[in-house]
Amino acid sequence: MDQLFLLELEDIVGVDGVVRDQAELITYESDGLVSHRSRPGVAVLPETAEQVQGVVRLCHRSGVPFVARGQGTGLSAGALPHPKGVLIVMTRMNRVLDIDLANRRITVEPGVMNLDVTRRVSGDGYYYAPDPSSQSICSIGGNFAENSGGAHCLKYGFTVHHVLGAEAVLPDGEIVHLGGDALDSPGLDLLGVLVGSEGTLAVVTKVTLGLLRCPESVRTLLAAFDSTDSAGNAVSDIISAGIIPAAIEMMDRTTIRAAEAAVHPGFPDAEAVLIVELDGSETEVAALFEQIETVCSQNKGWGVQVARDEEQRGRIWMGRKAAFAAMGRITPSYYVQDGVIPRSTLPEVLRRIRELEQDSGLTIGNVFHAGDGNLHPLVCYDDGVEGQAELAERVASEILSYCLDVGGSLTGEHGIGADKACHMPKMFSENDLATMQLVRTAFDPGQLCNPDKLFPTPRLCGEVPGPYRPHPVEAAGLAERL
Amino acid sequence: MADVTLSLGTLVTEIDSLVGSKVARVGTDGDSIDAILPTVVAEPTRASSVGQILGWASGRGVSVSVRGGGTKSGWGGPSGPIDVLLSTRAMNRVEVHRYSDLTATVQAGATLSKTNAVLAEHRQWLPLDPHNDEQATIGGIVATNDSGPRRHRHGAPRDLIIGMTLARVDGVIAKSGGIVVKNVAGYDLARLLTGSFGCLGVILSATFKLAPVAEASRTVLVELPKVDVCARYTADLIAHASTPTALEVSVPQGTMLVRFESVETVVISEATRAAALAEKAGATATVLVGDDELEAWRTHQAQVFVEGHTIVKLTVMPSELVSTLTWLEEEVRVRRLDYGLIGRVGLGVCYLRLQGAIAEQVSLILALRDRLPVGRGSAVIRQSNLELKKLIDTWGPIGDGFRIMRAVKQQFDPTGMLNPSHGPGGL
Ligand SMILES: Cc1cc2nc3c(=O)[nH]c(=O)nc-3n(C[C@H](O)[C@H](O)[C@H](O)COP(=O)(O)OP(=O)(O)OC[C@H]3O[C@@H](n4cnc5c(N)ncnc54)[C@H](O)[C@@H]3O)c2cc1C
Repeated sequence: MDQLFLLELEDIVGVDGVVRDQAELITYESDGLVSHRSRPGVAVLPETAEQVQGVVRLCHRSGVPFVARGQGTGLSAGALPHPKGVLIVMTRMNRVLDIDLANRRITVEPGVMNLDVTRRVSGDGYYYAPDPSSQSICSIGGNFAENSGGAHCLKYGFTVHHVLGAEAVLPDGEIVHLGGDALDSPGLDLLGVLVGSEGTLAVVTKVTLGLLRCPESVRTLLAAFDSTDSAGNAVSDIISAGIIPAAIEMMDRTTIRAAEAAVHPGFPDAEAVLIVELDGSETEVAALFEQIETVCSQNKGWGVQVARDEEQRGRIWMGRKAAFAAMGRITPSYYVQDGVIPRSTLPEVLRRIRELEQDSGLTIGNVFHAGDGNLHPLVCYDDGVEGQAELAERVASEILSYCLDVGGSLTGEHGIGADKACHMPKMFSENDLATMQLVRTAFDPGQLCNPDKLFPTPRLCGEVPGPYRPHPVEAAGLAERL
Repeated sequence: MADVTLSLGTLVTEIDSLVGSKVARVGTDGDSIDAILPTVVAEPTRASSVGQILGWASGRGVSVSVRGGGTKSGWGGPSGPIDVLLSTRAMNRVEVHRYSDLTATVQAGATLSKTNAVLAEHRQWLPLDPHNDEQATIGGIVATNDSGPRRHRHGAPRDLIIGMTLARVDGVIAKSGGIVVKNVAGYDLARLLTGSFGCLGVILSATFKLAPVAEASRTVLVELPKVDVCARYTADLIAHASTPTALEVSVPQGTMLVRFESVETVVISEATRAAALAEKAGATATVLVGDDELEAWRTHQAQVFVEGHTIVKLTVMPSELVSTLTWLEEEVRVRRLDYGLIGRVGLGVCYLRLQGAIAEQVSLILALRDRLPVGRGSAVIRQSNLELKKLIDTWGPIGDGFRIMRAVKQQFDPTGMLNPSHGPGGL
C-alpha cells in the first residue's frame, strides 16, 4: 500500500491502531467461511466513530476500497478483505453506551458481543432476543450487517425487528443517524435497509437495540423421531395448529452424533430430534404445551424429555448450539448452506436431500431452524480426497436449487457475501438486482464500501451482467443520470 | 411538471391504447386530493399495465400520484399538480394464501378487511388493525406503514412484510424478498418502500407473514383516577411479564384498554390478573367480552379518528408518555383546543386529534416539536385541512439522515414525477 496513505492512517487511528505486518494480517484473511481467503492491504482498529469517519474519508478521497469486520464469525465471506483495501476492524469499539430500562433500550458500540447485551440486563429481568448460535463470539455490528437470526426468531423476529436506531459513517465519510430511540422517526426507513445490507452501504458505529422482558414461564421439550419426515410433519402440524412457539429446532442423526461427541447433551439415539420451546404467561405455556405434546405423539415422536429446570434446558440448548462447531468431531471438513424453504415443504425437501446424500456418497448433516424453514445442511467431505471439496460444493449448490425450486431463499441468516453472490441471479432477475443497485448507488456511488459482495460481478462470476438499460427519462434527454 | 401541454382527451386515449383496454378517464371532483383535481385517473387491472403507464409517464414528462382506498391521500405533504392519478383498486385479490406456511401474497388494491375475510377461511389474519380497514388498501397501509392498537404484539407492516413486487418510474417491475418468513438475500426493498408514502415506486403486491386468529379475546377497561396511574400500572404489567396484544391509553377520558388474545382459559386468567393489578394501582377495572369489548374498541378509536379534524401522529419515548399527556392537557386548555389522544403505552406511539383555531393548532404542534429532539420523538401531521398544511411542515425535523434519503429518492425517481413532494420530508 502507498506509504503516504499508511502514514495518514496512522495519524487517524494511531500507530498501534494500524496493522501492516503481513504475518499479523493473516489473522484477518477469512471469516468463518475459511474456504475464501484474501489478505487485506492494511487493517485498522479504530476506537471511535470519528476515527472510523477519518479512515472512510481518507479511503473516499484516495479511491481505496474498505471493508468493515466485526468478530469474523460470518459464514458467507462477508468480511472477506479486499487485497488492495483497508480492513476496518471494529473490535475495539466495544463499549455499552447507555442502558435505559424504563424504555427497554440499550445503546452499544458495534464491537459489543451479542451475548454481552443480554448479560448486561438479565439481572434486571430483560434480554436481547436475537440469539445466533454464535452469540458468545459474534458482534452486534456483524449481527446488524447480516440481519442475524437465531433459534428464538420464530416468535420474536430477527435483528431488524430489534434495532431501533443507528449511527453510521456513509461511504463519503459523513455521519448520519437513522431511526432513533423513539419509534417511527419520520423519513424513509433506511435503517430497515441498512440492517442486512452486509456492510455494503455504510460502517455502523453505534446501535440502539430494543430489549424484551424475560417471559414469566419457559418450557422446553425434546422429542425423538424415526425419520426426518415425521419430525418435519410435526413441525407443519404445530404451525397449522396456530401455535407459534418461541423456537422449533431440528437435528438429524449426523448432527445429533456430532453434538453427543462434543458436549454430551444426552440426546436420544434417533433419526431426528425436535427441540420445541414455548414461552409466555404461565397459563398460556401450560395450555399450549399439551397441544405440542399431542402433535409430537401423533407424529410418532418418542423419548420425550421435558426440561425440568434451567440446568436441563441449558443442556438441551447447548447440544443444539454446539452442533455446528461439533461437526469437526465427525468430519475433516464441511460445507454449510443456509437456504430457506416454505415450512410446509420441509418433508419433501429433506427427502430430496437424503436422495442427494445417497447419490453423491457424501454425508449430509442437518441442524436447523425448522419453524422458520431455515435449513443448515452440512455437506461433509475430506480435503485429503481429491475432488471431494469440489463435489461438496456442487452438492451444496444443488441443495440451494432445491430451496429455490419450492419458492425459498438462498439464505436465511448467513448472508450472500462473496460466497453466494454468483447465485443471486438464480433468485432475482436482472431488474430486481438493478433495483437493489439503485440503493447501492445512492449510498456508495464509488463502490468502495465492501465491494464484490452480495451482487454478482463479472470479476467474481465470470459473466457480464445484462446490458445497461437507460432510464426512459434519460433516453428522452430530460434528465442526466447522477 | 414538464412543459408538456396536456390535452385531456389525448392523455386518456394514450393510456388506453398503451394498455390495450379502457382503464383511463378524465378526473372529477371526487378524485381531488387536497383540492387538487387530477387531470386523468387510470385504474389498471394488471401489474404490467402499471409498469406501462409509469414508463409512458416518465417519457412523456407527466406526474403520477398513486391512490389505494383514498383513505390516506390527504396524509403526507400537500400535493403538487397531479397529471395522472393511478388507482390500484382494480388490482384487489389475495393472490395466494399459503395457509400451511402462514403467509399470503396480496395485491395492493385489496382492502384490509377483504383480505382478512379471505384469510379467515383458514383461521388466519394479517395482524394489522389500523383505523378504517374497510376502505384502507394493503398498498396504502404499507406505503404509510400504518397500524393500530395490536401493533403492541404484532408490529407494524414493516415487521410483517417479507416480500414485495413494485413498479419503478421507468416502468420496470422488480421484486424483493420472497415468500419465506426468513430471508436475508439482497437489499430489503420491501422495507424501504414501506412507509415511503409512495415516493419511490408503486407497490403492486406484498407478501406478509400472518398470525393465527386467536380462539378467545378479553379486554380490560381501566378507568384511571389520574393519568399518572397509567405509568405505575404499566410498570406493574411489565414486571409481571403480562403479555397483552394491545395496551392503550386514551385522554382526556383517562381510560386504558388492555387486550388479551389466546385460548379461552388463558385470556380469562390474564385479564383477571390485569384487572387485579389495575385495582391495586388505584384504578377501576372491568373485563369486557363480546359486543361490549368490540364497542369499547370502537369508542376508543372514535376519540381520535374524526372526519375534518386535525390528526397528528405523535411518538415519544414510552417513559415520557405520561408527562407528555400532562403537558398536553394544560397546553390545549390555554389554547382553547378540543382534543383527544389514544396512545400505545408500551411503544410511545400516539394519535392526537385537534380541533379549534388553526393558529392555535399550529402553535401547539410547534411546541410539541420543541419538546422532541430528533430521534426522541416526532409529531407528524396525518390529516388536516389545507390551511394548516400550508402553515406548517407536515413532517417536522428529520435529522442528518435526510441527505441520504434524498439521494435514494433521486435514484428511484430522478425527475420527481412520482407522488411529487408527497414523500417524507417533502421528497
Ligand atoms: C458456529 C457458528 C454459528 C453461527 N450461528 C449463527 C446463527 O445461529 N444465526 C446467524 O444468523 N448467524 C450465525 N452465524 C454466523 C455469524 O456468527 C453471524 O453472521 C454474525 O452476525 C457475524 O458477526 P461478526 O461480528 O462475526 O461479523 P463479521 O463476520 O466480522 O462480519 C459480518 C458482516 O458484517 C459486516 N460488518 C461487521 N461489522 C460492521 C459494522 N460495524 N458496520 C458495517 N458492517 C459491519 C462485515 O463487513 C461483514 O459483511 C454462526 C457462525 C458460526 C461460526
